Amino acid sequence: MAKKIVVDPIPRIEGHLRIEAKLNDRNVIEDAYSSGTMWRGIEVILKGRDPREAWAFTERICGVCTTVHALASVRCVEDALGIAIPTNARIIRNLMNATQVTQDHLVHFYHLHAFDWVDVVSALKADPKQASAIAQSISPWPKSSVGYFKDLQQRLVGFVESGQLGIFSNGYWGHPAYKLPPEVNLIAVAHYLEALDFQKEIVKIQTIFGGKNPHPNYLVGGMACAIDPNSDTAINIERLMMIKKIIDETNTFIDQVYIPDLLAIAGYYKGWLYGGGLGNYLSYGDFPETTLEDFKTLLWPRGAILNKDLSTVIDVDPRDASQVTEEVSHSWYTYSKGDGKGLHPWNGETNPKYTGPKPPFEHLDTDKKYSWLKTPRWKNHPMEVGPLARVLIAYAKGDPMIKDTVGMVLSKLGVGPEALFSTLGRTAARGIECKQTAGFMRHYYDQLIANIKTGDLRTFNSDRWQPSTWPEECKGFGYTEAPRGSLGHWIHIKDEKIKEYQIVVPSTWNASPRDVNGNSGAYESALKGTPMINPEQPLEILRTVHSFDPCLACASHLFDMNGKEITSVTIV
Amino acid sequence: MKYNRINIIGLGNVLHGDEGFGVAALNRFQETLDFPDIVHCIDGGTQGIYLLDYIESCDAVMVFDALIPVEYDRRVYIYRNEELPAFIHRKMSSHQMGFSELIGLARLRGTMPREIVLIGIPPKELELSMELSAEVSLLLPEAVESGRAIVEGWLAEG
Repeated sequence: MAKKIVVDPIPRIEGHLRIEAKLNDRNVIEDAYSSGTMWRGIEVILKGRDPREAWAFTERICGVCTTVHALASVRCVEDALGIAIPTNARIIRNLMNATQVTQDHLVHFYHLHAFDWVDVVSALKADPKQASAIAQSISPWPKSSVGYFKDLQQRLVGFVESGQLGIFSNGYWGHPAYKLPPEVNLIAVAHYLEALDFQKEIVKIQTIFGGKNPHPNYLVGGMACAIDPNSDTAINIERLMMIKKIIDETNTFIDQVYIPDLLAIAGYYKGWLYGGGLGNYLSYGDFPETTLEDFKTLLWPRGAILNKDLSTVIDVDPRDASQVTEEVSHSWYTYSKGDGKGLHPWNGETNPKYTGPKPPFEHLDTDKKYSWLKTPRWKNHPMEVGPLARVLIAYAKGDPMIKDTVGMVLSKLGVGPEALFSTLGRTAARGIECKQTAGFMRHYYDQLIANIKTGDLRTFNSDRWQPSTWPEECKGFGYTEAPRGSLGHWIHIKDEKIKEYQIVVPSTWNASPRDVNGNSGAYESALKGTPMINPEQPLEILRTVHSFDPCLACASHLFDMNGKEITSVTIV
Repeated sequence: MKYNRINIIGLGNVLHGDEGFGVAALNRFQETLDFPDIVHCIDGGTQGIYLLDYIESCDAVMVFDALIPVEYDRRVYIYRNEELPAFIHRKMSSHQMGFSELIGLARLRGTMPREIVLIGIPPKELELSMELSAEVSLLLPEAVESGRAIVEGWLAEG
């Protein structure tokens, strides 16, 4: 009898992302279903509001991806109203976006994903001398002495032995899918802790330009920060110097810590090349050097790849009603003209209708509707979005930096490009991209300084701020490539108010349920064929799902005094 | 001064009813009370790990948040220092990182503030809404008042 594994956040905290995987008698995943079990529904809250304020609401959708929603939102309103933003605003937004991607990728690697590959408990057995020797052989990073690793190890042992603080008590430590030697585990734990200091610094860039953080300020028509090299309160020389310093430190950390760790860890897992999945990749592109509609200048190119065919990158137009659509044949919504008919977001509908089992339940009825996520498709194809998609599209288009870095990673690991189509490839792509966006931070800093030197201090275009200057009715599209993939906001403005607002987030692409033709979404597809060593400890499932960096659990955030597991695993 | 910096943090998602209690309490605290400049108010939203700096950068921290208590009763709960649980979950998404995890990390790093207090109320409604439920709204003044008394105590010690 086939087993079914269910991985689910505990129901009391409102489920968020639930995976049901069917195993064959050899414990290989035969089929998988991904379900978003919580409705977000921001679209309903936005109806009737002032379009200039939409960004502040969308910024609250997600705790971690605040700036990306704010950015997509101001871009869609500007697109609808025909507002051109000043050069400084474009550069500052790009710099903030590059900062966000860099920070997010780094935090993802060390603070979500690392423990899918790194065994903390094994690190207790490491020889600090050997750990130091390995660390020094892979990187010039200065925190690598024997004493440093010895101190850290003692601190870890103290925490584990004291028993008063089982902060790591919920991991699958000792699982046979862990392959790293104790010394590499110890190095990774050290960098897990160091990365916390690092992310505290890098976020200051958002604070400087956004006025505050969390929840930095954006503005329809530009940016709210004033630039004046000689003022105490504006973006001045002192603040610019601080930004420069943070950018330099960011690049050092990525080159000397993140990339060497990634290569060291990946070297032990290059035999585990599961999790590739769809082989279809989509990117809207981002980082405009001029305007968002001047696609050729996007530093992250726009395009699509089908069936892993790197010889052809197909043009993408998210405004085209036949390209980007969402249907609800397996989602808890209804459409007025049929649930299986894909609607372009400008014609989108949000009519929630839950028809799933009453919680608590054992499993979902996956033949019918089983998710709060809609099913987005590009020309009817399920697509993967995110770092792997972007890196492959840039690679296929011949981007020199990406070609070099991908080539370096592949040659150091001794694998061919086909290895990229895997969970490990997705994780490597995130690191490659992080190095790239850290470079973008430098690029935009230099651009900003050069532009300020010309005497241009403008950050805001107020021409169409007043609603009296707006057309009676208009539509707009705003896009960005968020850390975890393509993000689109589509707006319909009528009589100075939001008539309709639709958002298609990256995790909806990746975590989508089946479509009307029975095609799996990206998570579902990636899990198929993965062998599980121990179904009661589904480390392999977490590894692949985490490699997509899911954004599904952020809407609710209660403080649970009970210390229970957030994620439960049941086998039925 | 014993306390050079005190951080008051409101946590929660304002789009989900009582989930937004922490931010609503922070706003009330900030609007109705007048404290010296060393008291900083931070709307933390649901930022998870990105809030670590706000814990580590002060001598005392007070957090308002909706919570699930050990024994369930709809009232204002106050937890101090060691009473606060610290653990790192196995999670599906980095966005599942809760405040308990931040406390765990700060303890491991040896960067805990001298005082840490959590003031919370169990939620009633978590549906999509920008309003608090009547039950939680009724308790909000008591939560803010408790917070005021604690912060005044800290300042008096200084």
